[in-house]
Amino acid sequence: MAFEPRIVGFLCNWCSYTGADLAGTSRIKYPHNIRIIRVMCTARIDPTFVLKALADGADGVLICGCHPGDCHYVEGNYKTIRRYELLKKMLHDLGIEESRVRLEWVSASEGMRFAEVVKDMTETIRGLGPNRIKIELAADSAER
Amino acid sequence: MAGHRIGVYVCMCGTNIANTVNVDEVVESIGKMDEVAIARSYKYMCSNPGQEMIINDVKDLDLDRVVVAACSPRMHEPTFRKALETAGLNPYFVEMANIREQCSWVHDDGRAATEKATFLTRAMVEKVARNEPLDKRSVPMSPATLVIGGGITGLTAALELAEGDQTVYLVEREEKLGGNVARLDLTAPYLDSARDLLSELITKATRHPHIVPMLKSNLIDMNGFIGNFTCRVRDGEGEEVDLMVGSVVVCTGYREFDASRVKAYGYGKLPDVITSFELESMIRQGKIRKKDGNLPQYVTLIHCVGSRSEEFHPYCSRVCCMTALKYAHEVKSAIPDSYVSDLYIDMHAFGKGCEDFYRKSSETKTMFLMYGKNSTPSVRLAGKGEDCEMFLTVQEQLSGEEIEIPTDLIVLMVGMEPREDSEQVARLVNISRDKDGWFIESHPKLDPVATTTDGVYIAGACQSPKDIPDSVAQARAAAARILAHISQGEIWTDAVYAEIDGDLCSGCRICNELCPYSAIEFDEEKKKSSIISAVCKACGACVAACPSGAIKARHFTDEQIFAQLEGVL
Repeated sequence: MAFEPRIVGFLCNWCSYTGADLAGTSRIKYPHNIRIIRVMCTARIDPTFVLKALADGADGVLICGCHPGDCHYVEGNYKTIRRYELLKKMLHDLGIEESRVRLEWVSASEGMRFAEVVKDMTETIRGLGPNRIKIELAADSAER
Repeated sequence: MAGHRIGVYVCMCGTNIANTVNVDEVVESIGKMDEVAIARSYKYMCSNPGQEMIINDVKDLDLDRVVVAACSPRMHEPTFRKALETAGLNPYFVEMANIREQCSWVHDDGRAATEKATFLTRAMVEKVARNEPLDKRSVPMSPATLVIGGGITGLTAALELAEGDQTVYLVEREEKLGGNVARLDLTAPYLDSARDLLSELITKATRHPHIVPMLKSNLIDMNGFIGNFTCRVRDGEGEEVDLMVGSVVVCTGYREFDASRVKAYGYGKLPDVITSFELESMIRQGKIRKKDGNLPQYVTLIHCVGSRSEEFHPYCSRVCCMTALKYAHEVKSAIPDSYVSDLYIDMHAFGKGCEDFYRKSSETKTMFLMYGKNSTPSVRLAGKGEDCEMFLTVQEQLSGEEIEIPTDLIVLMVGMEPREDSEQVARLVNISRDKDGWFIESHPKLDPVATTTDGVYIAGACQSPKDIPDSVAQARAAAARILAHISQGEIWTDAVYAEIDGDLCSGCRICNELCPYSAIEFDEEKKKSSIISAVCKACGACVAACPSGAIKARHFTDEQIFAQLEGVL
């Protein structure tokens, strides 16, 4: 069977979750591979959420928030930018491809953009193939 | 953990969900989950029978948690929270799985959509099992309101609130009230005088004991939350004053499109090419003249200047078609032997009385010519011996022919666009703008004047192009919403906020600086931080940053999010 990536999306309530809803009301089609978890702000996203998603078998993690300067909480997304940079370093050290985790800005009016981001990310992950971490973790604990 | 009795309700939303997602299959697999006591599907969960199904099940089956797999929680979460309250459960014991906007409406493959809907629903079952009962916060409601913008919308909102015996601060940046309507002569389609409409409102507002007009003033800062905003206003002299208000109505209106951006019409270069507002001002002075002071014999009105165009604004500005017809009447009555041509793309006569007005206008011997969206008419100056100033070439759509018409005065029907400071205003009052720059309402159909910030309302053309009746209706709607809150005396705000476990807090103060609302206080004696819940807006930035894991985001705890993660994977 062809590889179908599983992507977890963490979307901020005010811009991106609303943008994803707009894609829905506008009936803009995009790949079914994304499963969305709503948070109030991307600044709520603890890097461990992303690591846990990958450890539990997600092939990719998409974080979407308001455009810089347009955050419902003034500057939450700037905090996310900084955390994301650190997270990328951590992923690198863990041997996980950086492109499995992606940060994108999607406003409440960008339903089309959201669909395009999901499409593009799904293709990227499809190209990378399955995330091996879960399998490796299982093998690792079996050895012990 | 064990021992929850969860009810799961999968909505078909008529056929909106059921056409793509096999709801029976979702019900079947979710029904097998450990703590799920009952799983059902129903045509419309949000309907009264749908809600009653939940309420009865809670009582009959002793449910303690509920999941509704249906539309976006942004749509019906309040509905189901209310239903749970009716059933005697804490309203935060319901979660919604978004299987419509984020599933059935965006996927074609029924198999995949059904699988995804199952995962999304499972995630919410996992989360709701870990939800905690939360109490809503009650805060006193300040009865005063700040109205930003003294145009017809702001004036109407202010008067409606003042008539309800409440204080209104009416902030207007110009030195006069009236806004764009003050620039008009007559209004379409009934041709009544804009001056009459406005002067009565302005007189009433300036004399009203409950209205404080603040001219040449601007809002420069806003803090707080619904019921308790502090707004800093600066007046023309540079003096600043802090106003305590419970609600804010943004009525900042629009500005007209800059006609010189459409190069083809030569606005700003050719003397007798003017904008609709310039014609309006000529009409108000009773003098429709060419630049050389003579009467124009041929007058041409061109619709959709800046509107419905890929290059400038994609939207329709809504008022220009009827305004153009109004000009046809006004020009004809001022210069009876003139020839008026009207160049339109489509004639939008959607409002009450507008179609009748259109019919009447065609009787005034106006020549209507239809041009194409992508074939802007072109202008050239007439030669010396000609009896007109210019010629316009139009690719006429109905006849399919290229037509050249003589003209002395070209009137460009400029569209509406967001004001140059709309981004700044949006940021000040914490609301969003759409792709064109208009302010975004809470829900386009069901909640058109509220915004994503509780207590901040939008009315009139700052939300999108609008005529006077629609603007006035929105102004009154916003006032009604505010008066309802005021009459309750206090408001219940969301119980979702962050809290610090004093035992775990190490007093590092990392969170103190992170909070954009200064909601975190530090106790110097105990060396601990704590959150002022009424000021916290629940973004969760501090939660993710706390190195001790001492801060809990209520309703979005680590445990709840982890459970959701396991559910979707």
